[in-house]
Amino acid sequence: MLHGVRWHAERVILDLMKLLVIEDDATTGAYIARGLREEGHVVDLMDDGRAGLLAATGGGYDVLIVDRMLPHVDGLTLVKTLRGAGSTTPVLFLTAMGSVEDRIGGLNAGGDDYLVKPFAFGELSARVSALGRRPQVLEQETELQAGDLNLDLLTRKVTRDGQELDLLPREFSLLEFLLRRKGRVQTRTMLLEGVWDLSFDPMTNVVETHISRLRAKVDKPFPSELIKTVRGAGYRIDG
Amino acid sequence: MKRLWRSMPLRLALMLVVLFGTVSLLSLAASYAFTRAAFEQSIRDDLAQDLAGFRAAPSARAVAALVQAESKGTDPDRLVLSYVTRTDQIFGNGAVGRDDEGFHIISLEEGRAELKGEYLALSARLYGGRLTIARSRAEIEALQPVFLNILWISLLPTVLIALSGGLILARRSQRHVEVIRGALERMTGGDLGARVVTGRRWSDDLLRIGTTVNGMAGAQERSVMALRQVSSDIAHDLKTPVQRVSLRLEALAEAVEDGQAAELVAQTRDEVDEISAVFQSLLQLAQVENGALKEQFAPVNLAQLCQTMVEVYEPTASQRNQTVMYTGPDEVSVQGEKNLLGQLVANLIENALRHTDEAAQISVAIVQTPNEIILSVTDDGPGIPKSEFDRVTQRLYRLDRSRNTPGNGLGLSLVDGVARLHGAKMELNDADPGLRVIIKFAT
Repeated sequence: MLHGVRWHAERVILDLMKLLVIEDDATTGAYIARGLREEGHVVDLMDDGRAGLLAATGGGYDVLIVDRMLPHVDGLTLVKTLRGAGSTTPVLFLTAMGSVEDRIGGLNAGGDDYLVKPFAFGELSARVSALGRRPQVLEQETELQAGDLNLDLLTRKVTRDGQELDLLPREFSLLEFLLRRKGRVQTRTMLLEGVWDLSFDPMTNVVETHISRLRAKVDKPFPSELIKTVRGAGYRIDG
Repeated sequence: MKRLWRSMPLRLALMLVVLFGTVSLLSLAASYAFTRAAFEQSIRDDLAQDLAGFRAAPSARAVAALVQAESKGTDPDRLVLSYVTRTDQIFGNGAVGRDDEGFHIISLEEGRAELKGEYLALSARLYGGRLTIARSRAEIEALQPVFLNILWISLLPTVLIALSGGLILARRSQRHVEVIRGALERMTGGDLGARVVTGRRWSDDLLRIGTTVNGMAGAQERSVMALRQVSSDIAHDLKTPVQRVSLRLEALAEAVEDGQAAELVAQTRDEVDEISAVFQSLLQLAQVENGALKEQFAPVNLAQLCQTMVEVYEPTASQRNQTVMYTGPDEVSVQGEKNLLGQLVANLIENALRHTDEAAQISVAIVQTPNEIILSVTDDGPGIPKSEFDRVTQRLYRLDRSRNTPGNGLGLSLVDGVARLHGAKMELNDADPGLRVIIKFAT
């Protein structure tokens, strides 16, 4: 028991998870599995709904990655069945459709998030780690910190290297969002949803321009760069 | 009421009333003429008979005595007997005189007044004198009111019954037509499950139309379903390979060193992103147009949504010295789907940013009137020629001069689709200079 708890705690710290990928397209499935394994996760891959459902009910997974269209048992039915059986394991849907209606259908069935094909691996990875860490809300926190950057949630003051930074309210929210998810990539859609409460497909680089404004204040006057761009995925602030 | 007036059953009823009335009037007029002629003939016959009776008298004296006796107690208003002898002696209850104006009958009773009314008279020379018998035509004249009464009594109820019957039928068929119209309107609005619910009292022709409409709606629903299935199949079948390409490119990007190869990989990834964006827009458009999303509608604060969107796009705009501003109230509630409305506002702003030059001013505004919420996005760019207004909402349509600007020609189609889904109307206006896109939500 003691051993189990410690092992679990260790996994959270290292952000490593046991994942189940249920995807019928062999190429996509293999790429996803390989990519996630490279990040250090333990990944099982199933290529049809029935086998996937059996594996998922076996439990022990931190996040399920489920394609909507699967042979034998489709993704929606699979997740409904799991939820009916009392499973609360977070589910990330992969879908080819990805319209609003589809998304609502997936979330109603018990999915926690969804990703529209074609997606970049970085986006998948970011969403999977967000799901695996979902319950982590540190209410008592009044100060966020990364390197020499400090963000005080009560006085709403931001300092870097002892120097106070003058941020607009939304820049503050953006920085706060990234700091709260320190070490994890936040994609453009995650930022739009989290900071602005918007879910839409921008054709232009709206998020990039906000990030570059924030960088102009947070990074530019200092020798090191805190806000990192993760190509094809999004942004991350490291600890 | 005006619509009822123009309805077919009421028009038919009115036409029948007019036809029936005309025929009744004609036949009444004919029988009136015949009766009148018959009455007149019988008066003439009476006069001839009267005259024959007096002719039977043997002398002038006898005629005078007879006339005097007969006329005593005879009402001159009804019958006038007059015998003027050779010596101008007048016997009887009246005399016939003549002046420039015509004949006059003068009563011989006290007052000697002229008798009013029309008379039919027969005059003959008898023993050197002149015998005149005149019978009043009052009886014939009395026919007119009688016939008028007959006209009212027979025609009025017919007209009333026909009119109210027509009105009732018109009301009923209007109700039924309304049911058909409502179903068609729901279908036009994207409710593929809308059907005409017919009743037992429906008339055969409307019933047939209703059944046909339902048949058509069923066929349409089936074909849309089939189309949707096909498009979801295509989406799945094509997106999977695009997904593979995208993932392989990612792997490739990591494998190649910086340089020309890396540049090519980056460009190819951008192209793949473009392809999937078009896919995404087409799928979203298809889903918006099918209308099923209406079930997810909830109140959305459109004003707040616009303000947030303006804020999101402000840094992008400022890169080219452009400005985006919102004017309007802080709280405007619209029944809708928040993400779609957000996409609508985003597309309008992006459209304006993309098709205007440096330092352009873009204004997002909401105006609330008693029965409308008007959302408008105005730019001061080159605008769109009026002749192109209709075509820019067509899928993948792009103005010739926009071929080289980014975008896929789906933006305004999606705006139009989302507006329609929300029962709103999209209009394009010349902002002189620039373009104003207006979305009118009914409240």
